[in-house]
Amino acid sequence: MDRSQNHIHGQSAANFCYQFGSDNPLLGMGIQQQFAPFTSPFGASSSTNIPHMDWNPATMLDNLTFIEDKIRQVKDVIRTMVDNGGQLPCRQGDLTQQQQVVNADLTCLIVQLISTAGSLLPSLKNSSFLSQPPAGHMDTVNHVGSSSSFIPNATTISEENKEDMCSPEDYEELFKGFTDGAMEGGIEIDNVFVEEQDAKDGDEGGDASMDGENLPPGSYELLQLEKDEILAPHTHFCSICGKGFKRDANLRMHMRGHGDEYKSPAALAKPPRDASVEHELVKRYSCPFVGCKRNKLHKNFQPLKTILCVKNHYKRSHCEKSYTCSRCHTKKFSVMADLKTHEKHCGRDKWLCSCGTSFSRKDKLFAHVALFQGHTPALPADETKNSSDQISRVGSHQEPAKFPSSMGSSFMWGTSSSDDRGLDVKGLAGCSEDILSTGNFGSFNFSFGPADGFTGEPSGSSFSVLPPEHFQSAQKKGKN
Amino acid sequence: MSREGQKLDYAAAGGNGAGGVGIGVLSLDLLGQVLDRLREPRDRKACRLVSRAFERAEATHRRALRVLRREPLPRLLRAFPSLERLDLSACASLDDASLSAAIAAAGAGGLAGLRRVCLARASGVGWRGLEALVAACPRLEAVDLSHCVGAGDREVAALAAAAGLRELRLDKCLAVTDMGLAKVVVGCPRLEKLSVKWCREISDIGIDLLAKKCPELRSLNISYLKVGNGSLRSISTLEKLEELAMVGCSCIDDEGLELLSKGSDSLQSVDVSRCDHVTYQGLASLIDGRKFLQKLHVADCLHEIGQRFVSKLATLKETLTALKLDGLEVSDSLLQAIGEGCNKLVEIGLSKCSGVTDEGISSLVARCTDLRTIDLTCCNLITNNALDSIADNCKMLECLRLESCSLINEKGLERIANCSPNLKEIDLTDCGVNDAALQHLAKCSELRTLKLGLCSSISDKGIAFISSNCGKLVELDLYRCNSITDDGLAALVNGCKKIKLLNLCYCNKITDSGLGHLGSLEELTNLELRCLVRITGIGISSIATGCKSLIELDLKRCYSVDDAGLGALARNAFNLRQLTISYCQVTGLGLCHLLSSLRCLQDIKMVHLSWVSIEGFEIALRAACGRLKKLKMLNGLKTVLSPELLQMLHACGCRIRWVDKPLVYKDC
Repeated sequence: MDRSQNHIHGQSAANFCYQFGSDNPLLGMGIQQQFAPFTSPFGASSSTNIPHMDWNPATMLDNLTFIEDKIRQVKDVIRTMVDNGGQLPCRQGDLTQQQQVVNADLTCLIVQLISTAGSLLPSLKNSSFLSQPPAGHMDTVNHVGSSSSFIPNATTISEENKEDMCSPEDYEELFKGFTDGAMEGGIEIDNVFVEEQDAKDGDEGGDASMDGENLPPGSYELLQLEKDEILAPHTHFCSICGKGFKRDANLRMHMRGHGDEYKSPAALAKPPRDASVEHELVKRYSCPFVGCKRNKLHKNFQPLKTILCVKNHYKRSHCEKSYTCSRCHTKKFSVMADLKTHEKHCGRDKWLCSCGTSFSRKDKLFAHVALFQGHTPALPADETKNSSDQISRVGSHQEPAKFPSSMGSSFMWGTSSSDDRGLDVKGLAGCSEDILSTGNFGSFNFSFGPADGFTGEPSGSSFSVLPPEHFQSAQKKGKN
Repeated sequence: MSREGQKLDYAAAGGNGAGGVGIGVLSLDLLGQVLDRLREPRDRKACRLVSRAFERAEATHRRALRVLRREPLPRLLRAFPSLERLDLSACASLDDASLSAAIAAAGAGGLAGLRRVCLARASGVGWRGLEALVAACPRLEAVDLSHCVGAGDREVAALAAAAGLRELRLDKCLAVTDMGLAKVVVGCPRLEKLSVKWCREISDIGIDLLAKKCPELRSLNISYLKVGNGSLRSISTLEKLEELAMVGCSCIDDEGLELLSKGSDSLQSVDVSRCDHVTYQGLASLIDGRKFLQKLHVADCLHEIGQRFVSKLATLKETLTALKLDGLEVSDSLLQAIGEGCNKLVEIGLSKCSGVTDEGISSLVARCTDLRTIDLTCCNLITNNALDSIADNCKMLECLRLESCSLINEKGLERIANCSPNLKEIDLTDCGVNDAALQHLAKCSELRTLKLGLCSSISDKGIAFISSNCGKLVELDLYRCNSITDDGLAALVNGCKKIKLLNLCYCNKITDSGLGHLGSLEELTNLELRCLVRITGIGISSIATGCKSLIELDLKRCYSVDDAGLGALARNAFNLRQLTISYCQVTGLGLCHLLSSLRCLQDIKMVHLSWVSIEGFEIALRAACGRLKKLKMLNGLKTVLSPELLQMLHACGCRIRWVDKPLVYKDC
C-alpha cells in the first residue's frame, strides 16, 4: 500500500472513519486487525479540550494539588464506607448514593489527570521513546493464510514516519496511550461503535471501484483467508493467558496486566512498521467462496481491499442473516452494523408507495412513482383518520348514509392505530437507549484495591472502563 | 324569455286551440331537437310545462343540469338519465351523505353518461362523496373542485379513480399537496387541462411527476405556487402544452423562462403576471424559443423594458394576439414599436401603465386595426385625442376600459360611439362623464356592460338615453351616481329588461317606489343597494316578489330595512344565495324567518345587527346550519355563541369571518 494510506492510518479516529480501506495490510495471523482508534470513555471532550500548550510548571503544580485534595476527599468517603460496612449493615440507598459520589469524584479525577498529562505532551515532542521503535518488541510477520498456528502476540508493522509523529493527531493517540499507562490498569476497550464505522467504510463496494484505484492483476499480492479465519471472533490472543482480542491495541493494553515489562511506553506504543514492508506489494484479498465474484477464480474477479472488507463481504454474501430487526421483524442482516443502520431508520420512512415500499424522502418516493407504471403514493393514514373524523361529526346530526367506502375507512383506521403503536414503541426504544447509556455510565466498574494504587502503584486489580456502546450492544446481541 | 321560447309557446297554444293537433304529434326525438335549440334555462322550463310530451322529451334529452338545492337531487338524477353535465356548485347544503344517496338513487346506469361535474365551492363534499361519484360515472371527463378550501389529498385521491379524466380544476384546494397531485397524475394519465392555482403545498417534485405522467397536458395553471425553475424545466418536456399560467410565482425567474423556451413549440399562451423575478431578459429568451406565441400576459412583473424584448416581440408579428403589460412604465416609442411589431393584436392591456399618452396610443392603434379590447384603466394622461384615434382605427372595438381617465369627455366618447358599432363593454368609472356622453353612447345598441360608477353628474336623463336604445344591457354600474332618482330607474326598466347585474350603491335619492320599478326586472340576479337609507321593507318586498332570479342582494347600511323586508325575501326570493344585511334594523325573529326559509342561501354577512339577540343569532344559525358556506359576523359573537354551533358550522364546510368594527352610522 502506498504512503498516503499509511498516513491516513496514522490519523485520528474522526478522520479515519471517513476513509475507505484505510486498514493497513497488517499481517500477523492473517486476520489481525489494525490498531483501532480509541474512544475514551470520556468521549471526545477529554481529547478535544486539551490544549496543546507548552509545559507550565505552575499550572501543573496547581493541578496536582487539586488532584491530591480530591483524592483525599474520596479516600475519606471510602473510609467511612468501610467503617460503616464493618459496624452495621447500611441501607442500600445510602450505599448506592455514596458509590455514585465516589464514581463522580473519580471521573472528575481522571479527567483532571488526563488534562494535566495532556499539557505535558508537546514537551514530549522530541523525546526519544516515541519516535523509536520500542525495544524488546517482537516483530513477527505472518503472511495471511500461510499458517494456521498462531503466535499470540504476533504482529506489527511499524507505520509511523517521523514527520507524521509531529502532527497533533498523533499526540492525541499517543496521549491516550500515555494516560492509559498512567492509570496503571488494564483497560479493555472493545469499541463496537468503531467497528460499525469500519464496516461501513470497508463496504465491499467501497474498494477498488469506488476509490478509482483499479489495480491491474499482478500488481498486488493476492491473499485468501479461510472461512474459519474470517469468522473467528478474535484475531489477537494473549500468549500468556490465551484471551482473545479483536484488536492488537486491546491486546497490548491487556498485556500490561501480565507484568511490568509490558507497561513501558515503548511496549504500549503502536509497533513501528518495518521499513521493508513499505516496499512490499500492495495486498488484495480474495473471498474463499468459489463462484463468488470476489473469488480469485471468477472471470470478472474484483479483489477486496482490506481484511475488514473480506469479513463483511463474506458475512453479507455467504452467511446466514441471523440478526433480525426488532422493529419490523422482517429485515434480516448478517452484519451487526447493517442491522443498526437499518434500525435507525426502520419505521421512520413515512413516504409510502402503493406497492408497499417506503422511502425516507419524498423526492425518492416520487422518483420511484415516476419510474414504475401504475405505482402511486399511498396517503398517510392519519389524514384518513382526520377526514373520517370530520365525516362522522357531520353525519352525527344529519341523516346517516351508507358509504360504499366505509369498509375502506375502517381499515384505514386500523392501520393508523397500528402505526401509532409503532411510533410509540419507537419512542420508547429511543428512551430506553438513553436510559441504558446513562445507566451504563453510572455503572462503570471502578474497582480499586488500596486507594494508593491509583496514584501510581501497580496493583493487581483491574480497572475496566467499558464505553456505553459496548454494554448496550452486548445486551442487544443477547436479545437477538 | 328568448325569441325561440316565445315562438314555441305560441305554437303550443295555437296547436291546442286548433283542435288538439300540434306539439303533441311530434315525436320525442323532434321535441328533443327543439329543446336542444333553446339556450335559456327559463325557456326550457316553459316548454317543460307545455305538455307531457315535452316533459318526456326533456327528460330523455336533457344533457345539462344545475341543481340549486340538495333535496330534489335524487329525484332529478333519476328523472334525467342522459345527463352529461352536472353543476352542483350552487347546490346548498350538499354533503357526502346526500351526494352518495342521490347517486345511489340514480341507480346503476343513471349517471353512466355523465362527463362533466362542477363541484366548485361545494365545501361540504369530501372524499366519500367523490368516491361514490367517480364510481358511478365511468365516463367522467371533467371535474371542477375549485374553491373547496377543505379539499385535500384524500379528496383528490378519490378523483384519481376516474381514469378517463381530462380536465381538472383544483383552484384553492388548500390542503392538496404533492401526494394528492401524484395520485391524480398517476390515476388520470390522459389529463389535458389542469389548474392547481393556489394549491400552495404543491412543490417542484409534484410538478415534475405531473410532467412525466401526463404527456397529453395542453393547459396548465400553476399560479401562486411556490415552485421554482425546476418546475419549468419539467414543464418544458410537455410536448402538447399550449397554455401555461404562472401568476404570482415569485420563485420563478429568467433562468426558468429560458428553460421553458427550450421546450416544444406548442406553447401559445403564457401568463407570467406578478412574477416578481421575471425581467424582460427572460421574456425575450422565452419569445425567442416560441415562434407561435399568441397570448402574453406580463402584468405587474416588469419594471423596465429593454430594446431586446421589443425586438423579440416583433418576431411574433404574425401570431401574437393578446398582450398585457399592466403596471409597466411605457413610453411612446415602446407603444409605437409594439404597434409596428405586433399588428395582429386583438387585445392590449395597458392598465395602470404610467406614461401612456395620446401620441403613444395613436401610434399603437395606427397599425393594430384589429384591436377589440383596449384596457386603459388609470392611464390618466390620455384625452379625447386618444379616443379619436382609437375610434378612427379600431372599427372592431368591443371593449374599452377607461376607468379614471378623467381628461376625456363626451366629445371623445361621441367619436367612439359613432365609429364602434360593435362596442359591447365600456368602463367609464370615475371619468366624470355627463348625460351628454350617455346620449352618444346610447348609439351603441350592442352594449352589454356599462360602468358609470362615481360619475355623479349623471342624472335620470342620461339613464333615459341609455334605456332608449341599449336593450341588450346586462350589467349597469351606477355606484355613487347620487343624482339618480326613482324616475331614472323607471326609465331604465322600460328599455333595459335584460339587466342581470345592477349596482345602485349610495344612490341615496332612491326610495321604495324606485325599487318598485326594479321589481319588473325578472332576470336581475345581482343587486347592490348599499346605503340606500330611504328604502324600507316595502321596497324590498317589491324586489323580492318581482325579481325572481335574484341570487345576490346587498342591503348593507339600508338602515330603514326591517323585518318586513326580510320576511318578503324569506317568502319570495327562493334563489337568493348571497345576502348582506349588515347594519339593517332587523330583529332575531326576522333573521330566523329568513334563514330558515331561504333554502339556497349560502353566504350571509350580518355585522352589527344590534336588534338581534344572541339567542336570535343562535337559533337562526342553527336553522341554516347545513347550508351556510360563508358567514361574516362581529367578533364579539365568537365567544357568546355556543361552541357546538360553531363546530357544526365548521363541520358543514362553513367559513366564518369574524370582524371587529366599531358601530358607526354613516349617512352618505
